[in-house]
Amino acid sequence: MEKFEPVIVAFCCHYCAYTAADMAGSQRLPYPTNVKVIQVPCSCKVDALHIVKAFEKGADGVYVAGCLEGDCHFKNGNEKAARRVEYVQKYLDEIGIESERLEMVMMSAGMGYRFAQVATEITEKIRKLGPSPIKTATAL
Amino acid sequence: MQNSNKLQTQNNKVLVIGGGLGGIRTALDLAEAEKDVVLVDKDYTIGGLMTQLDRTFPTNNCDLCTLAPHLSESNRQEHIELLTMTSVVGVTGEKGNFTATLDTQPRFINLEKCTGCGDCLKHFPECVRFNPGLDHRAPTCMRYPQATPQAFSIDLDKCEDVEALVKICPAEAINADDMVIRREVRCSSIVLSTGASLFDPSELDYLGYAKFPDVVTSLEYERILSASGPTGGKLVRPSNDKQPKKIAWIQCIGSRGLQKGAGSYCSNACCMFALKEAIVTKERFQEDIETTIFYMDMRTFGKDYELYFERAKNEYGVRFLRSRPHSILQLEGSDKLNMIYTVDDSTKQLNEDFDMIVLSTGFKTSEESRKLAADIGIELNSDFFPVTDGFNSVATTKPGVYVAGTFQSPKDIPETMVQASAAACMAATDLPVLDVKVEDTEEEQATERDVSGEEPKVGVFICDCGDNIGGVIDVEALVEEAKNLPFVTVSKAEGHGCSRISMDNIRKTIEEEGLNRVVIGGCSPRTHQAKFQDLIQTAGLNKYLLEIANIRDQATWVHSGKPEETSKKALELLKMAVGAVVKAQPLTDQTLPINKNILVVGGGVTGMTSALRLAEQGFQVYLAEKSDKLGGVARDIIKTLEGNDVQEYLTDIIAKVQGHKNIQIITRAMIVDHSGMPGMFKTGMQSGPQMFYRQIEHGVTIIATGAQPNRPPLYLLDQCASVRTQLETQQFIFTNPEVVKTWENVAMIQCVGSRIPENPNCSRICCQNAIKNALAILEINPDARIFVLYRDMRTYGFQEQYYQKAREKGVIFVRYKADDPPVVEMAGDQVDVTFYDPILSQKVSFTVDNLSLSTGMIADNDSTEELAMIFKLPRTGDGFFLEDHVKLRPVDMSVPGFFVAGTAHSPKLLNESIAQANAVAARAQTMLARDVINLGAASARVDGKLCAACLICVRACPFDIPFINADGYSEIDPAKCHGCGMCVSECPAKAIQLMQFEDDRILAKVEQLLERISA
Repeated sequence: MEKFEPVIVAFCCHYCAYTAADMAGSQRLPYPTNVKVIQVPCSCKVDALHIVKAFEKGADGVYVAGCLEGDCHFKNGNEKAARRVEYVQKYLDEIGIESERLEMVMMSAGMGYRFAQVATEITEKIRKLGPSPIKTATAL
Repeated sequence: MQNSNKLQTQNNKVLVIGGGLGGIRTALDLAEAEKDVVLVDKDYTIGGLMTQLDRTFPTNNCDLCTLAPHLSESNRQEHIELLTMTSVVGVTGEKGNFTATLDTQPRFINLEKCTGCGDCLKHFPECVRFNPGLDHRAPTCMRYPQATPQAFSIDLDKCEDVEALVKICPAEAINADDMVIRREVRCSSIVLSTGASLFDPSELDYLGYAKFPDVVTSLEYERILSASGPTGGKLVRPSNDKQPKKIAWIQCIGSRGLQKGAGSYCSNACCMFALKEAIVTKERFQEDIETTIFYMDMRTFGKDYELYFERAKNEYGVRFLRSRPHSILQLEGSDKLNMIYTVDDSTKQLNEDFDMIVLSTGFKTSEESRKLAADIGIELNSDFFPVTDGFNSVATTKPGVYVAGTFQSPKDIPETMVQASAAACMAATDLPVLDVKVEDTEEEQATERDVSGEEPKVGVFICDCGDNIGGVIDVEALVEEAKNLPFVTVSKAEGHGCSRISMDNIRKTIEEEGLNRVVIGGCSPRTHQAKFQDLIQTAGLNKYLLEIANIRDQATWVHSGKPEETSKKALELLKMAVGAVVKAQPLTDQTLPINKNILVVGGGVTGMTSALRLAEQGFQVYLAEKSDKLGGVARDIIKTLEGNDVQEYLTDIIAKVQGHKNIQIITRAMIVDHSGMPGMFKTGMQSGPQMFYRQIEHGVTIIATGAQPNRPPLYLLDQCASVRTQLETQQFIFTNPEVVKTWENVAMIQCVGSRIPENPNCSRICCQNAIKNALAILEINPDARIFVLYRDMRTYGFQEQYYQKAREKGVIFVRYKADDPPVVEMAGDQVDVTFYDPILSQKVSFTVDNLSLSTGMIADNDSTEELAMIFKLPRTGDGFFLEDHVKLRPVDMSVPGFFVAGTAHSPKLLNESIAQANAVAARAQTMLARDVINLGAASARVDGKLCAACLICVRACPFDIPFINADGYSEIDPAKCHGCGMCVSECPAKAIQLMQFEDDRILAKVEQLLERISA
């Protein structure tokens, strides 16, 4: 079997994480190609349904990236997003998808370095976990 | 062009001379504040020196991409009359009423007709004018792909068959009878941003510049690296077209009074320039190339520049040698350049071969600028730069005439941008206050095509962005693959999508093919979305029928070395964008009236200057200061390096601020809450001895909270009375001259608490502080022996002359290494200082009567952290407020409506803070000139039929906007909605959608990305 390349969806908030991704770009900080960014205005815009849909369609990992605590442009959207992620994690466990496949991360707009680091770490983690059970199931 | 009659009669204009980056900024700031500008440039396209650069530090971004939006912006502004190929031949009159005589050279091409197709160039290459770079004619004679105006220029003298040339133009734009046009322009004030030229090293035989093709200047090297340069961006040796393996840079060529004809000043930007070139070179070739910089002092004093220097050293492995090379030779039969030099503190002669040598040539003013200065009647200093006011660096000796950028003094782009905005601010103060209502330009927002009911027809346009995308992946292949995506009607490669030609092509394609959705595969929507939105609007599409796939920042820039995976990812990003744009719906922007009051936070010189400028323009200003008096750190400074009286200046400005009817001063103010949006903020503060709470409504916020003097517990500071900071030293010199007279030995230690792991940046102000105090001590006590222990002397710009003077007067400068700092011990009332002297190669110890520590400045973390939390503003790692764009928007913050100035931005000198204060005043006016603010279209919309009135959205909203209306369902005022989408994701009935980020649009991206897997 060829080497497993996970597909990872990163929901990034416009004000911090997406800007950090741009920063990683302008500083040419390398990270794996597995991570695909979807821009949202605030991390709190990421619906439980979006996350679950991504897994249903075969994503091996999903993370939601928002601003640092206290830095949210919309007061506390990032904290609410974190709570929602926690909730979805429980749900994932219940339906047999490892909750480690979902994560909430926080970074400031200036942290291009952290964006690249997070993308690398999460890719490695998911690579170790192997393909998502849904993908394995549908492949049968 | 359109209003030449008006031109002759009114003098309510500003004349901006020089269309480089600075001139463009000045013109734009004035135009956006509804002031009329005449922008003249002697060249045939605007953009100046910056258009010749490949990338800029510290982001190593491609310049063209960042500059391009500014240029086209500048051309379409209705308040700007742009005159290219035009020079100023005379100026008469005075402030408020100048008359300038302008000569426009013939271009022989009708700008209205020229489409920039290039047919003239193809058939008559010798007749088309082109000048930048090493080699003529290459690869296109358009200065750069985004050139403004987008038209060629003909040199008729070089043309043998004029008739044939005229015939070749399909647009009939060539006019062989064109001639010089002379006109007069009346204006209230004049801004000189003519830029500088670069030192010509041809005369310096020992560097071999005139003899050896592989010795190039730093600008020529930049052209070789540049994708639009003579080699198309391929780094090759001019002598043999082979890739060099070993490159050296030599600093300070034509600067610091070193060579014949050199200026006595430091050229300020060359250290960073060389660092950038070395880093970009290393980035491209990594282990395959060696880079060495021969330098005197590394002057990386700007904001976060020291970190860039550290990266060059530690991450990229650039080699640094402190040395002034003796000569460059090329031995018979060898194709190498042989450099003879000694290192640092030894006398041994070394020889080393290099493939290429880059001379970091400094700035000097051009003959033309000097003549212009003489014509206008402004004074120049001994180095032929304009004499400017000690506190207001843009004010020349002639009232009404201002100067910005490298013509004022050598400087880099961010400082040019600051001065350009400052000059705009000052120039505007000379204009008559007019109460002109601008006519609405409704017609411009041309008829929008109704696309509802149409099947989606998507056009995909992919940029190669020079090498940024095209150098990593095969753009043509990507274009082909994109053709197979659903609903894609057209897929095309567009070179630089943001260039004028490409924009035109895209517009035509949209119209011809009847497209109703557009996807751009290029750079970040953060920088270019607005530009492409404008574009599709001109093609009759609603601006929200657009998606940008960020294949540069998120693919080609970050996955180098993996072209296959990168191509795959780029295609996936495109697929996601196409999927999403199919779901896009036309939307309308929300607008609201703007509140024109301003809140200035911080009552130091910076805050007061901004407040005063804006108050003078008739705006109501609230000036909030946390302490009980105005003045800030300037209260503790007596004189500047140049000898200007700070206290006199401070007393004067405090009186002006206190006396101004439009300024309300709030002392002991503590900001406690903040809400609202740009143009309509509400900020709550407690103030006065009773800490009363009050709320202020304002449209713009200026952060001028300053920094604080650093006081690290090093070198016996606060333990021994004869150890003082430089600030304390200056006060001591002025209050106790009789004690200073008795001092035999004085030591000063630089970089105390700066450039160390805990505080890695340079504090910028300390080198000149040490020299200022050393000279002041010698003034009182010429026999004092003064030792300055330093790491790099960073006396940039004209400060270099004072460094020179200090050395002439006998001040001894001894360099120490970061890992071997001086040792200080108490010796009664005195202090023993021991340090390693690299010239004597041994430790030296002596007893001093006074030890001055250059402790610099640090961010006031307590207050900035709190303010950053309340206002939601980003900060740098060391606690200073972060500007939106290091280069092009140095005083704008990423949160719209917020501006930053002074030492809250980074450590800087008083006149530099004042320049920023004036700059933010200009930037704020660009926002306040508008009567309404555009809130965009991203607001939440409730579908009443689905709403169960469960109140979850009412509780979830961070801003308390949703309410249950009379009809019994939730309602959200689009003008108040901030557009976060919280209610949308919380709503259990999915009755709410956030416009522009609708669920089906987001899910389409997920589905497109994963389609292959689930299928």
